[in-house]
Amino acid sequence: MSSVEPFQIRIGDLRERFRPQREWAEGPGLLLIAAHFLTGSGAGAWLVAVLLGLRPGLMMGFSLVAVGAFFHLLFLGRPERFWRMMSSFGTSWISRGIVGVTLFLASAAVYLSLTLLGLGETVLAGAMLFLSVLGALWVVVYKGFVWASSKGIPLWNTPLVPVLYIAYALRGGTAVLMLLAAAGAAQEPLGSLEPIKLWLAVSTAVLVLIYIDVMRGSGMTALRSVNLMLFGRVALPFYFGALALGLIVPIGIGGFAYFGDLSAAWLALVGCLSLVGDLSIIYCIAKAGLYRPLPV
Amino acid sequence: MRYGMVIDLKKCIGCTGCALVCKVENATPPGIVWLRVIKHETGKYPQVRRVSIPLQCMHCAEPPCMEVCPTGATSKRADGIVDIDAEKCVGCRYCMVACPYDQRFFLAKERHYFKNGPTPFEQIGYQRHQEGVVSKCNFCAPRLEKGLEPACAANCMTKARTFGDLEDPNSEASRLIRDRGGYQLYPELGTNPSVYYLPA
Repeated sequence: MSSVEPFQIRIGDLRERFRPQREWAEGPGLLLIAAHFLTGSGAGAWLVAVLLGLRPGLMMGFSLVAVGAFFHLLFLGRPERFWRMMSSFGTSWISRGIVGVTLFLASAAVYLSLTLLGLGETVLAGAMLFLSVLGALWVVVYKGFVWASSKGIPLWNTPLVPVLYIAYALRGGTAVLMLLAAAGAAQEPLGSLEPIKLWLAVSTAVLVLIYIDVMRGSGMTALRSVNLMLFGRVALPFYFGALALGLIVPIGIGGFAYFGDLSAAWLALVGCLSLVGDLSIIYCIAKAGLYRPLPV
Repeated sequence: MRYGMVIDLKKCIGCTGCALVCKVENATPPGIVWLRVIKHETGKYPQVRRVSIPLQCMHCAEPPCMEVCPTGATSKRADGIVDIDAEKCVGCRYCMVACPYDQRFFLAKERHYFKNGPTPFEQIGYQRHQEGVVSKCNFCAPRLEKGLEPACAANCMTKARTFGDLEDPNSEASRLIRDRGGYQLYPELGTNPSVYYLPA
């Protein structure tokens, strides 16, 4: 049996009234989803680690953003021209994002180097830390706007997407730190992370419900996209990955943590599942995207 | 000066000759369809109508693709044509998801129509197409420089296409839009397309 060429799929899509978005969700598009997941979780981990003073989290956050940025490069059709992507800062959210990622990686690298050299208390280190926090905030915020500025796809073209992505980035960052702490890389108590994690998980679950409900009433195309998530070809990663593993189980385990101590293994499980959930929701939103039908 | 195209849906018979001549003129590889014709049926038996609607880049006055392009590869020329500089494009495909008309195409890998490699025509034509970048209709800009109309307009057998300056109130295109109630696709998105349709 001969395989279907991507261009044949594209030609087939052009005949559909509601054409699926594939460029950012299939094949090499999965690299972009991985890039947004990694940079979001990494920047979130950096911010929470700075807030709570968890030093191992800084290194992990930096590494994740660096790997995510590399995935971003791999996704490009012409990665050797990546430097051009900073030239439209005034209008393009990808351009703004690349500037933010560069600012973060450069300042965080200098800060980590100074810390390793024992110069972490100097004025220069303080300035670099400030810039890195600015860069991390930038990275957490920009991704949602990249998707939300796509006029062709109503499921993404809403201000709720940036809010959702910010929540998921912070949640993912906290989950990364929980994994680190559970693995013994961090000496700090796990207790400081779990309340943050639970609060973020609950608020993210509420946000997902609001998003789904709002998009159901945002026109025929958005409704079709939501139906793809709830009943169609994106239902499995949505129910199993984003909802069950990503939200319900972590919230359940987090709730038990209020009545008694949980072992490091359980907390590591919560961290892992949360990350699976984060990746799943980014994938689901990308995959369920449909182009507006042409008004004929 | 703002180049635009007026397509008379009453005259269009859906022969797809414009799509074919676009492929020949621009030597677009498989999967790259700068111009296509969709068929749409309306009404109920026995009052049924079939309308053919040619679609191509709308060359918007406010192009969302240009706004999101991170490299400035997509730009609007002084004559209103929205063009892509393939040398600047990084292939991020942001313009593709931003275009409400789905009129942009990414060439991941060069392919040929025949198994035994590229034909002499493809060898010459494909020099204009790069792998890893996005492309789309440019109103046949090289033909315009020679004083010719876009290939689709010049070859339409029913003269359903009228190409002209939309800013000139005396141009045939402007007159048709005015007199026949020309309309744009998705005007509510604020993109202000330069391709107008005349009702069927």
